Amino acid sequence: MSEPSFSTSRRRLLGGATALGAGLAMPAILRAQEPAKPAELIVRAWGGVWVDSLKKGVSDPFTAKTGIAIRHDLTEDNEIKPRIWAAVAQGRVPPIHVNWDTTANATSSALRGVCEDLSDLPNLATVLPLAKPIGLTGVPIVNLYSYVYVLAYRPEAFPGGPPTSWNVLLEPRFKGRIALYNDGIGFHPVAQVLGGGKIADIPGNMEPCWAFIRKLKEQKPLLGEDPDFTNWFQKGEIDVACTISSNAREAKAKGVNVAWTVPKEGAKVDTDGMWIPKGLPANELYWAKRYIDFALSTEAQQVWLDGLGLPGVAPGLKPPADLVGDPSYPTSEKDYERLILIPPKIQAEHTAEWFARFKEIMQS
Amino acid sequence: MAGGVALALLLLLAAPSLVVAGASLTAGSIVQFPPEGLSLRWYGRVLEAREVRDALLRSLEVATVCTALAVPSGTLAAIALARWRFRAALAIQLYLLLPFTVPLIGSGIGLMLLFGELGLLGRVWPVGIACCVINLPFMIWAVAASVNALDPELERAAASCGAGPVQTFLLVTLPAVAPGILAGALVMFVLALNEFLVSLLLVDARTVTLPVQIYTQIRGVITPDLAAVSTVYVLVAAAAVLLLDRLVGLEIFLRSR
Amino acid sequence: MAILGGRPAARAGRPPTTAYRLSWRILDALEAVAARWPARAEGAVKWLLLGPALAVVGLLVFGLVVMADASLRVMDFRTYQLGEDYSTANYVRLFGWGAFHATLWRSLLATLLVTLFCLLLAFPYAYALTRTASARLRRVLLVGLFLPFFVGQVVRAYGWLVILGQQGLVNQALGLVGLGPYRLLFSYPAVLFGLVQYMLPFAVLMLAPALAAIPEEIERAAASCGASRGRTLLRVVVPMARPGLIAAALVVATLTLTDFAMPAILGGGTNDFLANLVHDQFFRTSNAGLGSAIALVLTLLGTTVAGLLLAAAGVGALGVRGAR
Repeated sequence: MSEPSFSTSRRRLLGGATALGAGLAMPAILRAQEPAKPAELIVRAWGGVWVDSLKKGVSDPFTAKTGIAIRHDLTEDNEIKPRIWAAVAQGRVPPIHVNWDTTANATSSALRGVCEDLSDLPNLATVLPLAKPIGLTGVPIVNLYSYVYVLAYRPEAFPGGPPTSWNVLLEPRFKGRIALYNDGIGFHPVAQVLGGGKIADIPGNMEPCWAFIRKLKEQKPLLGEDPDFTNWFQKGEIDVACTISSNAREAKAKGVNVAWTVPKEGAKVDTDGMWIPKGLPANELYWAKRYIDFALSTEAQQVWLDGLGLPGVAPGLKPPADLVGDPSYPTSEKDYERLILIPPKIQAEHTAEWFARFKEIMQS
Repeated sequence: MAGGVALALLLLLAAPSLVVAGASLTAGSIVQFPPEGLSLRWYGRVLEAREVRDALLRSLEVATVCTALAVPSGTLAAIALARWRFRAALAIQLYLLLPFTVPLIGSGIGLMLLFGELGLLGRVWPVGIACCVINLPFMIWAVAASVNALDPELERAAASCGAGPVQTFLLVTLPAVAPGILAGALVMFVLALNEFLVSLLLVDARTVTLPVQIYTQIRGVITPDLAAVSTVYVLVAAAAVLLLDRLVGLEIFLRSR
Repeated sequence: MAILGGRPAARAGRPPTTAYRLSWRILDALEAVAARWPARAEGAVKWLLLGPALAVVGLLVFGLVVMADASLRVMDFRTYQLGEDYSTANYVRLFGWGAFHATLWRSLLATLLVTLFCLLLAFPYAYALTRTASARLRRVLLVGLFLPFFVGQVVRAYGWLVILGQQGLVNQALGLVGLGPYRLLFSYPAVLFGLVQYMLPFAVLMLAPALAAIPEEIERAAASCGASRGRTLLRVVVPMARPGLIAAALVVATLTLTDFAMPAILGGGTNDFLANLVHDQFFRTSNAGLGSAIALVLTLLGTTVAGLLLAAAGVGALGVRGAR
């Protein structure tokens, strides 16, 4: 148990499997044996720019190719989870066909055993190894892109240039004007480092992390979810936040002056993916798999992820013009060096405990 | 003086709705008040959306089922509680208050599991039953207020004229508590129309009701088209309220006899 | 036969001069059925009437039973399944959890404060509603009461986010005189404010019928006996309106205790109520065991509060008769 899982995963992020040749087209003979097409597939997605870019990049082209309509369900990922679990437990057809979910969230479903195995997707052979989650049996989830929890800030609050350290969160002038995710997500490894601890100690000894968060509580942070960050920046409620770069990018697109950076202590990187709940009829399962397979293709990812400004797993993707060289859009080994990835299995096993500690500190 | 306080409170109650309506008229693209310029373009987008119309129709179905179930069960319960003596009166009342004392999340998960077991998910009318379950105390109270004020002399008079118990019930008691029944039915209808938390757990993308649709989209970013949807919702409902006032008179809420 | 109306029935011996109405035939049939009901089972009628409501609420009981079962089992985070063994581990954990205690007191305090404020504010509103001579004012007040119902909790909360935000109306107005901008949201008072304005229509609706039932003559009688306005209100009207006040208090208290949306939207994430904790456990950490435990504790609390209020109201509140 010498080597922490982190450096292994960082290498795996980039390792072999760059473009392995052009897409594998389905041989004509197999096409003839395709099962009956359902009238529609239901795909869960986050609202706003997320579902809009999915529609543009994946859903609409899929419909054009196959004739199957895609209906998007905007229920939150964590609200649909108990419904899927109940459906599987009661032997019913689940409410959705494809769940676009965070890998962390999806891992809990995978551990419970409610995900269909996706190892037979053709495009899996050509994408980055990042697409297959570490530590799980088979491929219950397919990771589709990664994102970084950056330090987003209002440039007007930093006339001297972008902040270089996460410690700006503790500056008295930002009291009441900082924001975090309300479950602490994205911040644990950073807090661990800032509290004087080591990444290798996660999850064994997280006391440095909690010590830092206790200090942060004095700053009266606002706690919320993705849309809250965009709103808060827009309405001038906050100056600094730890959030996914796409929220800051979205605020910027709406005309709010906001920028982001990866400070010297690093930042957490995580992935999102898609999975299929068990219990679907065989033909719907087949076409749901085809949907995810299409979402793995370069053609779909280029358009889809351009709208989100996030690096995908398909080979040969080009970053959007405004994100070339941006630390939140890692493309090279050097970019990934500063980023911290916690294996999803560890996250899934400890999320409840970390959540309880975070709440304990923040709610007292 | 009470009138002054009342009007001030009225303004307070109306303020957020007015602001949301005002913000929906913005020519800009974020929700703020006062809005940046005036424009009706967001309403254009909203009224085109077929999903909104479908969701509204489903919400109406839910509200109708809810009221249809609430009226008989609530009315009979209120009459029973007022006319007869129960030894376990307190226990019964606390039992009937469970829809308020069980947190909505708990009710929602429980009903989801129950309906799942019975294979009732994926349809719209079970949502109506759920709405009735979680709001039933309102119905019982509304009718109880009327029954309470009902003079028992009336029923005795009917009996002395030779009316049997069924006749008395149908022709004397029920008409006398009608104001309470109407008031309760209106409250149940409105609450079912607006219910989103329990519905969130019971609907899926094919049977989504309007409040769930609004809520799931509001949780994205609040954009002016959502403000427009909310305002249309309010206007439709306001029209319904005014219509009801015309037909029946909202004052039934005040009358207990 | 004035009460039943309609034409008189046929007299014995002579052929009927008028047709026996269908509605009368149906009523007679129903009476015949009712007459079959054994006199001994007279007491069962009241249970029969209560039956449907009991059954409707019974649907919730199923959920409570499932949750009680889940609350006694512990979640295994390696397989995300509830364990098979029964234990009180969830409850033990709960009562040792600091955030639970903080949230518990926060919710209870809010329940008390919001109920008090709502009663204080609902009284003048309901009084004006029932006592005003102007039909126009009454209609305005009634419509104004109903519209918030239609708009719903979430949209109104977002309206307040816009009004009280950093760039909202209030701060804009303050800015005109050179003050602020102030952080008016995302605090405990903001949540309380949101709850009061949400609960107010409920309180008024519960209170108004009770006030309407008090005849105005009584107040005038008190005045003619020499009581001042304030004294009349306090000593005469309020006691007579007790059933309505208790009903209003009941609704507001139980709904506030279990509210989830206001603390979530106006609280900024640091002012959670118990219902938010339940929400977190069911949705975020997928710990149905702990979530069920909190939900049951909440239900017990709410039932206790309701029980205390009903006991304080005494027999006769909410139309439930004791002996008659």
